[in-house]
Amino acid sequence: MKYAVKMTGSVQQVLRAMLEDAAVPRYGLQISKQADLEPGTLYPVMARLEGVGWVESSWENPELSIKDGRPRRRYYLLTKDGAEQARLALAEISARQEKRRSSLSIAQPGPLGASL
Amino acid sequence: MNSRPQIQPQPTACQDDPLAGLCEILRVTRPDADLELIRRAYDVAASWHEGQTRRSGDPYITHPLAVATILAETGADDQTLCAAILHDTIDDTPCTLAALSGDFGAEVAALVVGTTELDQVKGSRGSSLSQVLGTVRSADTRVLAIKVADRLHNMRTVEFIAHAKQLRKARESLDIFAPVASQLSMDTIGAELEMLAYATMKRNRHARSLPGRLLIAMTALLPEAARTRWCEEWLGELHTLPARRDRASFAIHTILGIPRLAYTVRNPAPGRRRAG
Repeated sequence: MKYAVKMTGSVQQVLRAMLEDAAVPRYGLQISKQADLEPGTLYPVMARLEGVGWVESSWENPELSIKDGRPRRRYYLLTKDGAEQARLALAEISARQEKRRSSLSIAQPGPLGASL
Repeated sequence: MNSRPQIQPQPTACQDDPLAGLCEILRVTRPDADLELIRRAYDVAASWHEGQTRRSGDPYITHPLAVATILAETGADDQTLCAAILHDTIDDTPCTLAALSGDFGAEVAALVVGTTELDQVKGSRGSSLSQVLGTVRSADTRVLAIKVADRLHNMRTVEFIAHAKQLRKARESLDIFAPVASQLSMDTIGAELEMLAYATMKRNRHARSLPGRLLIAMTALLPEAARTRWCEEWLGELHTLPARRDRASFAIHTILGIPRLAYTVRNPAPGRRRAG
């Protein structure tokens, strides 16, 4: 199946991190740490996910940031559709990898297989 | 949660009346105020600003009303209050000077024009405090009072504008508006302006650091419409990093990703198939 987003390695890392608790809004640096991606890789991925509607972003309530004396943060959240699509896409990718792994092990039997 | 004192509406005041708060203050500071005239100014201004909103999403009319409310606390006269409510009509709506003059008299119209003109003096390049004050000494001090109250409300809601503009407004508030407020003996207002300006500068302090300045400069590579958002987002992120080293590393890595981000922002959904 073809998805709205090209499922590159970094996209997968971001989606896995966000799906761990899909209902929790997170700011960029939190996702960057959880997905183990540099910010330079993360923001283009977030812009892409937002562009296709898998992720939404919004400013936090300015009252909070004023109270803490800092600039407001931008928070990201998976959309309902995005979370669904992301789960499907990730499941499909792991299934494909699983299949490839098992077909590899049949095509190249180990030393035990060769001796039979 | 909110420690700010809230003005409790009197049971007699109608909850739906937008002027309830203003009238309540006037009952204390100006019992002789011409509420009918003020209400008419509000109705006229509200109809001119109909459909306009502030950055916060509030209807635009909430701003001139708040300015008038600030002035009501200082005991300003009826003309000043009306001019405050109408202060953006000439600049931001098709309303004309003649119309204002006809509706509210030459005095109110002159005050509105005065605030509009003051913007032009202040807006012209290289205008200094002394220049502004020079043009101002000849002017009606009520015009200045309206401008100071206008700035106070803008500073109270400064969080909704882009950070670069926030810093400029904060600077101006300290350099021009707070001194003018103290000249007009509007000491409480001057003090609140200073407090808000310092808080704004402190909140945005990373915008002046080297990583912040680099990030801001490099957003020039992004499409113009996207610059403010990413700029602000990154300054917010910088703030979450306590170590200077981490902030530098964040800036460098983010900057390296900007060309790719620019491409993505320009092509938000390449080859996306429409559902259905």
